[in-house]
Amino acid sequence: MQFVSQRPYTVMLIVPTGVGAAVGGYAGDALPVARAIAQVADRLITHPNVLNGAQLYWPLPNALYVEGYALDQFAAGRWGLRPVHQNRVGLVLDCGIEPDLRQRHLQAADATRATLGLSLSDYVVTDAPLGVTLQTAASGATWGTIQNPDSLLRAVDKLITQAGAEAIAVVVRFPDDEGSDALQQYRQGQGVDPLAGAEAVISHLVVRTFRVPCAHAPALLPLPLDPLLAPKSAAEELGHTFLPCVLVGLSRAPQIVSQIVSQTIGQIGTQIDTQNPAQPSDIWANQVDALVVPATACGGSAVLSLSQTRLITVGSNTTRMQVTAASLGLPAIAVNSYLEALGALVAHRAGIDPTALDPQLHALQPLDKTLDGKANGKC
Amino acid sequence: MIIQFIELEIGLLPAVAELEAAIATRLQQHGEPLRWAITQIDPVRQIAHIEAVVTVGDFTHPHSVCSS
Repeated sequence: MQFVSQRPYTVMLIVPTGVGAAVGGYAGDALPVARAIAQVADRLITHPNVLNGAQLYWPLPNALYVEGYALDQFAAGRWGLRPVHQNRVGLVLDCGIEPDLRQRHLQAADATRATLGLSLSDYVVTDAPLGVTLQTAASGATWGTIQNPDSLLRAVDKLITQAGAEAIAVVVRFPDDEGSDALQQYRQGQGVDPLAGAEAVISHLVVRTFRVPCAHAPALLPLPLDPLLAPKSAAEELGHTFLPCVLVGLSRAPQIVSQIVSQTIGQIGTQIDTQNPAQPSDIWANQVDALVVPATACGGSAVLSLSQTRLITVGSNTTRMQVTAASLGLPAIAVNSYLEALGALVAHRAGIDPTALDPQLHALQPLDKTLDGKANGKC
Repeated sequence: MIIQFIELEIGLLPAVAELEAAIATRLQQHGEPLRWAITQIDPVRQIAHIEAVVTVGDFTHPHSVCSS
């Protein structure tokens, strides 16, 4: 419910990718959290790692699908988000993908056109194999790189300038590593997603360069049947590609708008881009009402940028990171579960102090007894 | 353009905004930041440990929004 005098209640949900998040570190297993928050918020801003479930996805009309680099820039106030009705999605395929697997991806893309009505441009194949390498950092977070980032960016440029693409889906051939311990743990719903860090680097690079919505789907060979496959990893073993959720998300991802800041001697002003004037639907960081993150993953750029925003940290969503809100001196509402987080959001939205919902409510205390006349007999 | 992973340590600052700006400045010394996070805090030494990915070198193309 929204009253005319109220502004849309906007929540940002972050579950960093590649940090072993107990909820959201697997195959779209934070999507139920997003669905629930979308019911209590007017707008949910979150990122592909939360909403992507490979073959599975859920259309949330009030959710904004914002790539991680764009999320950081948005949180810093440098970029705004402009909701759209539809994006024309361009597909980049790594030329390192073998022909049959490439065909599977093209068929998946065609399926989203025929069955979901998505708008896709003709696709581009990179002019060189992108060459993914995977690494694990000392913290336990995964990261990775591609050997030919320029080839990726050339392909994206062609899609934007020649095919009119407004959002970019990238498919890169990833190492299969079928017998690796990391993959086996991941399939059992444990450990850290070995691909996630490299995936983030790929989409971040596109977004930073071109300021368009972007998301990535790894190209991998199907895995043999594992009877012990964990439910939260199962969504990625339903089909031949991870592409459908990416195309669905990008089809309505918000466009990026930026403010041009001009500096004159002795003054800092904001000069609006006259070719792309502000629209009433544009969303900026100062409109975010609450931020929900795992309790130990408070060290990201977006959290630091939104330090003045109500922060809700979720203890049960453990990660490999070791940065709590308290360690940074950030005030936060610490809850144990996403169920409690939902309660905190509802209370906030209703204008209710959470302490009023406790059985014990202590009386008000003077802020400083030396300032309270009744305490020392003086008025 | 090449993509590099770096780790660095930075002293904690009283204000989070100052800390964020200091991190950005330190990362710029290594390249153009792409992704970073504070992964650990040492409360005794008052140090933040950062893991980051930066790019070195430009992708220059007339149609790109940014030069790197």
